[in-house]
Amino acid sequence: MRRERRKMLAARVDLADKISEIAARRGTLYDYVNDVLEQAVRAESLGLTLKEVLDDRWVIQDARDAGFAIVPEKVFYEMTEDAYDRLGKRKMTSLWYEIGQWYGKYYEDLGRFEGSVRRFFWDISEFKISEDDERLILTCLGSKFSEAYTELFSKFLEGALNALGYSLDGGEVSKGIISLRFTKSKGE
Amino acid sequence: MSEDVPDEKKLIRAPGDLVSKLSEAANRQGKTFYSYISEILEQAVRAYEMKRSLKEIIDAYEILEIYKEAGTVFTPRDFLEYLVGKTYGEDKETLERLWHQAGRWYGVYLKERSSDSIDTFVRLLREGRWDLSEVTVKRNQETLEFKCVSPLVSQERTELIRHFIEGAMHSLGYKSEEKECFRGIIRLRFLPLVVP
Repeated sequence: MRRERRKMLAARVDLADKISEIAARRGTLYDYVNDVLEQAVRAESLGLTLKEVLDDRWVIQDARDAGFAIVPEKVFYEMTEDAYDRLGKRKMTSLWYEIGQWYGKYYEDLGRFEGSVRRFFWDISEFKISEDDERLILTCLGSKFSEAYTELFSKFLEGALNALGYSLDGGEVSKGIISLRFTKSKGE
Repeated sequence: MSEDVPDEKKLIRAPGDLVSKLSEAANRQGKTFYSYISEILEQAVRAYEMKRSLKEIIDAYEILEIYKEAGTVFTPRDFLEYLVGKTYGEDKETLERLWHQAGRWYGVYLKERSSDSIDTFVRLLREGRWDLSEVTVKRNQETLEFKCVSPLVSQERTELIRHFIEGAMHSLGYKSEEKECFRGIIRLRFLPLVVP
């Protein structure tokens, strides 16, 4: 592609030096800057900044490291519904509760757990945990959730929060809506 | 070469068209061009420190976006394995059909979205991993061969991933010619439905 004439960019001296150093290992400074700016334009066309792209780059790797697997959404929901009917609510909720406990222990920190739920469960429309003294209010909305999956996911959240030192104190679970209240467990 | 200017700044030569585009972007975001360029260069250095190029990182990000748009979710691997283990034995055909249909849907989606849908599909399998440690594809004029390897997945899930891949490839205009599926290893050979 034919380029317009070259222009001069003013850059912070430390960055300009670092960029020159990187470019020296790869080719010319002009070509490297050209490549960097092209990618910035590309990110911009996706409606993002390069920082946002780099921050999210590791989602798949992080999810994999934390023991998540990727699966087509429709297949997953249908298989879950089917298993819920065949194996029964008790077995399935207990399984999700245990898995939640594992993740609570894995993340060890409420903020990290909350951040991971937001990053990895992108089928959730809204996820919020608000703290008020010793109490926690958890809200999770999933427009695609079936009644059974909402029930299971609420058990996952309950298991995680229990492992993080909170006991369920009431709430509401109905198709696509999870609203739970927790209190700090005694002895914590 | 870069040139020194006052106030701890240096001047760097860059293509005029890109500078103009980024100047507009900086305006849209209400930032000065200088601070906007600093952010870009900071991220270029960050990418270098990650031992990746910005292109590789944006390519991977696009894959993530495709996953989101195409309807893919993360779920705890233990639960998925449990689910597959419990349901596969009882109703194998339904489950295989379900995964095949999901693959077909992906194929149609990729055909609409991507100029090289096969390449994007392979990148989806590689980047998303599906717990696959290796995904290789040999493409020539007449055939397309897939080899997927994973030490992590069960026999049942290997079969389901195979059905998913076949579903996608059928939507993308290929028919299955040879298939071999062993726990954690999938080998598939496809022929185009219409020879070019």
